[in-house]
Amino acid sequence: MSTIIEARGLTKRFGSFTAVDDVSFTVEENRIYGLLGRNGAGKTTIMQLLTGQDFATDGSVSVYGQSPVENSRVLSNVSFIKESQKYPDGIRAKHVFAAAPNFYGNWNPELAEELIAEFRIPLNRDIKKLSRGQVSAVGVVVGLASRAPITFFDEPYLGLDAVARQLFYDRLLEDYALFPRTVILSTHLIDEVSDLLEHVILVDEGRILIDTPAEELRGSASTVVGKRVDVAAFVAGREIIHTDGIGGLASVTITGQLSPAERAAATAAGLELAPVSLQQLIVRLSSHESMEGTEL
Amino acid sequence: MTAVPALAAPPAFSRVWNVVRLHMISKNTFIVIPWLIIAGATVVSLVIPALLAYNGVSRADISEGAVNSWAVLSPMWYLCAVAVLAIAQFFPFSLGFGVTRRDFYLGTSLVFLISAIATGAVLATLGEIETATDGWGLGARMYTALFFDQGSWIANFFLFTVIQLGILFVGAAIATVYMRWRMWGMLVFWLGSVVVIVVGISAITFSNSWTLVGETLASLGVMGVFAWTLVPIALAAFAGFFILRRATPKN
Repeated sequence: MSTIIEARGLTKRFGSFTAVDDVSFTVEENRIYGLLGRNGAGKTTIMQLLTGQDFATDGSVSVYGQSPVENSRVLSNVSFIKESQKYPDGIRAKHVFAAAPNFYGNWNPELAEELIAEFRIPLNRDIKKLSRGQVSAVGVVVGLASRAPITFFDEPYLGLDAVARQLFYDRLLEDYALFPRTVILSTHLIDEVSDLLEHVILVDEGRILIDTPAEELRGSASTVVGKRVDVAAFVAGREIIHTDGIGGLASVTITGQLSPAERAAATAAGLELAPVSLQQLIVRLSSHESMEGTEL
Repeated sequence: MTAVPALAAPPAFSRVWNVVRLHMISKNTFIVIPWLIIAGATVVSLVIPALLAYNGVSRADISEGAVNSWAVLSPMWYLCAVAVLAIAQFFPFSLGFGVTRRDFYLGTSLVFLISAIATGAVLATLGEIETATDGWGLGARMYTALFFDQGSWIANFFLFTVIQLGILFVGAAIATVYMRWRMWGMLVFWLGSVVVIVVGISAITFSNSWTLVGETLASLGVMGVFAWTLVPIALAAFAGFFILRRATPKN
């Protein structure tokens, strides 16, 4: 494993607002990362700092051991596809695909052509006249066909229908298997990408809440459902991240792996154990801080 | 262990040239639209003398009246918009392709230079033809109107090129102020400009120096004045570079 990106004490302030607050993490080469978090959590700002599009207020970013700012050695290896990408007036999709090979050394024209057909992108219409989903598809095709060693996708699916999104996930995984690269994907649709992600970085209010391999995260919480007293007895001493209930019934989400013996005990006590999806877990953890202090 | 870059960056000039190609990817901006405007202005500049001649106005009178035609400057207003959009729209677009600010600015400047020189050369050549054909056989003047009749191709070419460079680089520099500081930048910039102009005019007026200014301009001549404007143009070009180096492509 070699480190491809390293952020240390990374901070970005806009006036009095701190968008990214003393964040440190590393990204290993050739893995798929999910950069998750709520709106305004700081995902886009982090990506802009990692790609040299914005300047850090404090701390440092290194990509291949160098600052990405104004660094064409680094940026030649990066493809950054963002939802907010603006295109000049009069530019058509065909212009974008004609220009892209000049900037991406690994650009694959055959792949681009296949993807353009699959996403049904109108090549000859002004991009400003395309639908939101079609504009997103242009970005997705550039991001995939560029085969850049480091590819950032910042909420690339906006306006894409379910079929197109699935197509994006399938083609990303397929091409990643053929040409391993480092992918950093920010998204709200966590359930849709949870099988894709190898590592999860969860940010909230500019800070990192989770920085863990996705595998570890998947079995790391369970929901216990049953009679209030039984549930309370079972979860005693465990870390509770969510509590819910009606009348005499309770549903409590706890963290930590459960051993087979514990599972058997739960069943014996008439409790139901439900797995917690990545999305649920992240929703629970993101809202956990405001939940603290809530007693069962 | 730190990963090593898989791809080497292209050499400096080809990175800059990629930006030039990006600007030129849609031929409309720098080629089709300016020449459509020039063609339209040319048609008007030829139809009017034809109408006057039909009504019995002498060719000498037509030629004399047409000296004040601004037709040849008609594409220059459009260039102002081109300069602004070349920064405002292509800066975020180029950075989306992983272009550095430095390469973007150098490439954009190169496009300005190529476009100003190419257009200047064609306009000066059309001026030569206009003179040789006695105003396209109608006494019309468009490409040799105003002060664009310096007697040599190279002198007229110089004037046309300098005007375009001025519009492009000053327009671009103003756009970089917007990219860097947004609305507040614009506000401060325009208020500042007004103050500078008012102070300048007042200083000349109160020191009774208008005659001196007039004499200086007259002694420099058209060529001298245009040569001197290269200094503020170069300053605008450098200012644009340093302002854009710290700008971010945000909405």
